Amino acid sequence: MSQINIIHAAVIGLTATFLLLAFDRAGELRKDQYVYVPPAPKVAAAAVDPDKGKPPPHNDKVEDLPEGKNRELTFYTCTACHGVALIKAQGLTRELWDSTLDLMVEKHRMPPIKAEERVEILDYLAEQFPPRRKGRGADNPFLK
Amino acid sequence: MATVGASLGASLPPVGSALAQGAPAAAKGPKLLEMEGKAKLAVLGDKPLVAETQAELLDDNVTPTNKLFIRNNGQVPDVTGDPKAWKVKIDGEVNTPLEITVGDLMSKFPAVTYQLMLECGGNGRSFFSPDARGNQWTNGGAGCPMWTGVRLADVLKSAGLKSSAVYIGSYGADPTLAGDTDKPSISRGVPIAKAMEEHSLIAFKLNGQDMPLIHGAPVRLVIPGWPASVSTKWLNRIWVRDKEHDGPGMGGFSYRVPKTPIVPGSKGNEKDMAILESMPVRSVITFPADGSKLTSRKLDLRGHAWAGDFDIKTVDISTDYGVTWKPAKVDAPANKYAWQNFSASIELPTTGYYEVWAKATDSKGVTQPFQAANWNPQGYGANPINRIRVLVES
Repeated sequence: MSQINIIHAAVIGLTATFLLLAFDRAGELRKDQYVYVPPAPKVAAAAVDPDKGKPPPHNDKVEDLPEGKNRELTFYTCTACHGVALIKAQGLTRELWDSTLDLMVEKHRMPPIKAEERVEILDYLAEQFPPRRKGRGADNPFLK
Repeated sequence: MATVGASLGASLPPVGSALAQGAPAAAKGPKLLEMEGKAKLAVLGDKPLVAETQAELLDDNVTPTNKLFIRNNGQVPDVTGDPKAWKVKIDGEVNTPLEITVGDLMSKFPAVTYQLMLECGGNGRSFFSPDARGNQWTNGGAGCPMWTGVRLADVLKSAGLKSSAVYIGSYGADPTLAGDTDKPSISRGVPIAKAMEEHSLIAFKLNGQDMPLIHGAPVRLVIPGWPASVSTKWLNRIWVRDKEHDGPGMGGFSYRVPKTPIVPGSKGNEKDMAILESMPVRSVITFPADGSKLTSRKLDLRGHAWAGDFDIKTVDISTDYGVTWKPAKVDAPANKYAWQNFSASIELPTTGYYEVWAKATDSKGVTQPFQAANWNPQGYGANPINRIRVLVES
C-alpha cells in the first residue's frame, strides 16, 4: 500500500506541477503583474477651464416664486433666460408688466407667447408683484 | 475715527433701499456674493449675475477690483487661449477697416492709466416711487478703479475716420441669456466726439492687473461719465456709424429718459424719450455705515461724489432733515472723470437718532433732488440726496 501511495503521490505531485506551470504560462497566476508601458509623449498643456473666473452656476426652483395660480407657467417661461430674482425685484402695474413682456420679446428675444398664456402669466405677475412702494408716487391721481 | 464706534448693522435692510420714501424695511439683508476674487457684494440678480457694492464697501479712494460692481446683460463668454491673440474689428465709416489683435493694440499705441468712474445707467433705481422696471440698485452700481489701456481715439484715427462718421456702436463676445451667439446681448454706443475724448479707453488692465473675466477680459471699453453699458466688455468690434447706433439697448425705453415728464407709474411714450448721456450728480457717504451706533456726538464722515461729464463743486451735509446745511471739504479729482472725496466733522447737538444727508452740486450748479425725479419705466437717473442713519448712544 505504501508503495502505491508513493507512486500516487508522485503522479499527483507531477500533475500538479504540470498544471501549475501550464496556468503560469497561460498567465492565470500572474494577472497582477506590471506590464511595461512606454512613457506617453508629453501633452502640450492641460486644457483651460472655460468656466474659470465665471460666476458660480445658478438654478432656481419653482418654489422660489410665491405660490399662486399660473406659477409654473410663469416660472418656466421666464427662467428659460433669467433668474427669479429679476422678477421679484420689482412690483409693477399690470400695464407695466405687459410692456415688460413686450421688452422681453422685442429686446431679449423671448419666443413669442400664446395669447392665452400671456394673460395667465400677466394674471400671476400682476397679482403677486403689484406696485409696492406706497409713497406719493404710488397713488398718483393721474393713474387710473 | 477712534471716537466713532461703527458697528455694521447686520440686521439692517439693504443699504439705501429702505431709505427711499415710504419703503418698508426689509426683513433681512441682501444676499451676499460668493465668488472667487470678489468681495461679498449685494447680489441683485443671479442670472445674469448683477451685484452692487454696499456704500460702506465703496470707502476706498480707488475702488479695489474685488469691490467693483458686476452687471451682465448676457452670459459670460468663454475667453480661453492667448489674450494677445484676441481680435477687435474696426469697421464701418473708416478709410482702412482693421482687425487688430490685443498684442498689436498694446505694442502700437501708447498705454495710459487713469482713475475713471464706471457707473451703471440704472444706479439709484430703487429710489423711484413707484417701482421702475429692472435691477433695484441703491447707489452701489458704481466704482472708481484705475484703468490702463490705449486711447480709443488713437485706434479710430489709425483706421481713418471718414467725414460721415458720427457715432460708434460697440460689440462684445457675450452670448444672449437665451444662448444666442448670432445676436449681441447688448450693443450700445456713443457719438464720435465722446469716443474721441482722451479718457475713452480700450482697457486691458484693471488696477494694474490683467482684466478679470467678469469685468471684460481681455479688453473692454471704458467710456467714463456715461452709463456703463457703453463701456462694452469682451470687446470684439467697433462699428463706426453714419447715424446714431441702433443696436439692442439703444431704442425704446432702454437707457433713455423722458423729454416731457410723465406720470410716475405710467407706461410712457417711446417717441418722447432721449438717450441718457452724462450720468447725474451723486454723493455717497461711505463712512460711517448706515445703521452705525456712535459712542460720541462727534461725527467724522467721508464719502465720494461725482457728476458724469462734470466736476463736483460742493457737497453739503445736513443732520436735521435739510433745515440747515454745512459744507463738506471736497478734494480735487485724481484726474477728469475720477470721483471726488469729501469729508466733514460734525458735532451732533444731542444723543439719539439722526439722519445724515449729503447733497452734491456739480460745476453747472445742478444739485441732487430730495426725491428721485423724472420717473421713467426703466428707471434711469434716480439720484436723490444720500442718507444714512446713525444712533448716538450716551
